[in-house]
Amino acid sequence: MAKDGSPEIITTRLDAIVTWAQKNSLWPLPFGTSCCGIEMMAVLSADYDMSRFGAEVVRFSPRQSDMLICAGTIVNKMAPVLKNIYDQMADPKWVMAFGVCTCSGGIYNSYSVLQGIDTIIPVDIYIPGCPPSPEGVIHGLIKLQKRIQSGEYLHKERQRSLLNLGAQK
Amino acid sequence: MSWNEQIEKNQAKLSKQVELLKQVCSDSIEKIETDRDGCPIVWSKKDKNITLLKVMKENSDFSFEFLSDLTAYDDVDGSEEAQGRFVVVYNLFSLQYKTRIRVKCRVSENETIETAVSVWEAANWAEREVYDMFGIQFKNHPDLRRILMDVRWEGHPLRKDYYWRKYQLFNDPEPIPMKLLQEGIE
Repeated sequence: MAKDGSPEIITTRLDAIVTWAQKNSLWPLPFGTSCCGIEMMAVLSADYDMSRFGAEVVRFSPRQSDMLICAGTIVNKMAPVLKNIYDQMADPKWVMAFGVCTCSGGIYNSYSVLQGIDTIIPVDIYIPGCPPSPEGVIHGLIKLQKRIQSGEYLHKERQRSLLNLGAQK
Repeated sequence: MSWNEQIEKNQAKLSKQVELLKQVCSDSIEKIETDRDGCPIVWSKKDKNITLLKVMKENSDFSFEFLSDLTAYDDVDGSEEAQGRFVVVYNLFSLQYKTRIRVKCRVSENETIETAVSVWEAANWAEREVYDMFGIQFKNHPDLRRILMDVRWEGHPLRKDYYWRKYQLFNDPEPIPMKLLQEGIE
């Protein structure tokens, strides 16, 4: 501490500061395929303002973002595209399933619609609703932030990179 | 002119056209019905379907130059005397007379039907959709391949014997046909 009382050194653990930084700067990649996409825009814009939680820098490139917001019905023909985009995102990455169609297929229980995106990619937070209310989305985002801060993803990340190394060998 | 008068006038024109059609193409028409909205349904014979459609487009008494829709349905549990499982439906509109008419044609499962692309260019993609959903083969179609479903899809989903929850999931994106790639380069 300096003589005037201002802090100069903060002591912490590396994991804690890394997770703190990660949770407060989630850069979302909007994957809006139908009406939930409109609700996602409402969450991002001024009324509900997701930037209060550090998730406002919307990037349309998977290389620059770390949270995939999948909002809307995913049909079978779109499924490989979604998987491609998820694979192109750099670690650490999180997936938010936005609305019942992405969570479970919703009302579209038919041959052409994917029954939940968790059949092809891992999902970290499910937000039900048709479409979910903006408050629900913010609630989900806060839950995701809590999970990130708890540090569980640090281990998953390590596991994933080890698996990738094994695959390369 | 009120709406009702307009509709009555159109109906009069339409019934005149139907009478004329009976005379001109009597050998290619099986029967003529009317649906509950007063739209005539012309059941055509399969081998003379295209000649009938051509007359309906090019003859100045009919001039149905606008193909509103081309679709089909699976009539697998329809009447027993009906010949053929599928019914191809042409919804036509005359820009000159402002009348609408419907042409239907029966096709059985292993038969082909002559394409309507030679009459209306717009039939191209509609016929591809019918082929995709029902598996009806169109003879002399310029580019008959799937339009909605994945090219690796097995079966035709709108057939009544296709189980509606039979999902087919593919991990890799759909391969782009070589022909389309070459078109892009040119």
